[in-house]
Amino acid sequence: MVHVLRAAFLVLIVALFTACAGNKTLVTLAPDPDGKVGAIDVGNEAGSVAIASAYQSTTVSDSTKRPEAPVQLTREAVEKRFADALSIQPKQPVHFLLYFDKDTTLSAASSKLLNDVVKAVGERQAEDISVIGHTDTLGSAQYNNELSRRRAQAVRDLLVERGIPAHNIRVTSHGKENPLIPTSDNVYEPRNRRVEVDVR
Amino acid sequence: MRTPTLLLASTCLLTASACWAADHAGIVKTLSGEVSVIRGENSLKVVPNFRLQEGDQVQTGPGGKAGLILDDDTVISLGPNSRVALTGFAFHPAEKKLSLVARIYRGTISFLSGQIAKLAPHQVRIETPGATVGVRGTHVLIEVEGS
Repeated sequence: MVHVLRAAFLVLIVALFTACAGNKTLVTLAPDPDGKVGAIDVGNEAGSVAIASAYQSTTVSDSTKRPEAPVQLTREAVEKRFADALSIQPKQPVHFLLYFDKDTTLSAASSKLLNDVVKAVGERQAEDISVIGHTDTLGSAQYNNELSRRRAQAVRDLLVERGIPAHNIRVTSHGKENPLIPTSDNVYEPRNRRVEVDVR
Repeated sequence: MRTPTLLLASTCLLTASACWAADHAGIVKTLSGEVSVIRGENSLKVVPNFRLQEGDQVQTGPGGKAGLILDDDTVISLGPNSRVALTGFAFHPAEKKLSLVARIYRGTISFLSGQIAKLAPHQVRIETPGATVGVRGTHVLIEVEGS
């Protein structure tokens, strides 16, 4: 009985959501902060449209009607329409890449870079800092992950020593799955054997 | 019954920060005016650096705006009278768990995609009442007329 009621309730919720599907939606593609323009597709049960140039946009009236053919808007019109949302857009997180001479000893250059990390944390009043270990694709995953995690932990300790509260730092490892320089498997690539510090 | 709890507790001790990270999806970095986060039944007061979890909804009032940074560098900002739910979020490259689903109920939204869109482009989508937007690494602006 409870199951039947729950199912009926779910159907009601879905029906309500579908009924609200009349809200007209406008979707526009804008350039990335570095000027590059990506691609999106906008679709529903009735069809989809692809957009791949700046300030092209489509509108959708509801989920049973295909999104309209793309229309070119001007940059001014788009920036005006989205002025509020754009005005509060936070700075993108800043990433620092640290490298090691051996084991958990930072290279001299990376050691210096820690000062910039601390500075960025202060400037952004950041309370969310990720320290992420990365490996290359050479050798056993277990050994690599273990080493990258120890290196990340060492960086975390150095940041805590410099006054960043430990509870604002998260330590993780991405293993070989998020390389700076993509390579095939079992390739020695020192640029990938890094610890990344993200300051948000 | 004790064993799983103990096991979980000791896993957390071994990887304290990973446990903390488990339900962390991002933060509210910037805000002005009326902004709240709906988590389950609760409406939470938001301050800068507020920690967001998967499932949270961020809502702005008539004079409110907010800017979010997710763990994978995705930046989402909301104009006034807007509501966005972080329906799905996973950023665990080592385990190949990558996905980002944001649902926009109303308002004006700027969405600047991050690392998930680079590593797994087909796992990023923005749902609106009338259509779903697939994002392959870019800046998207969306307006959903209010109800």
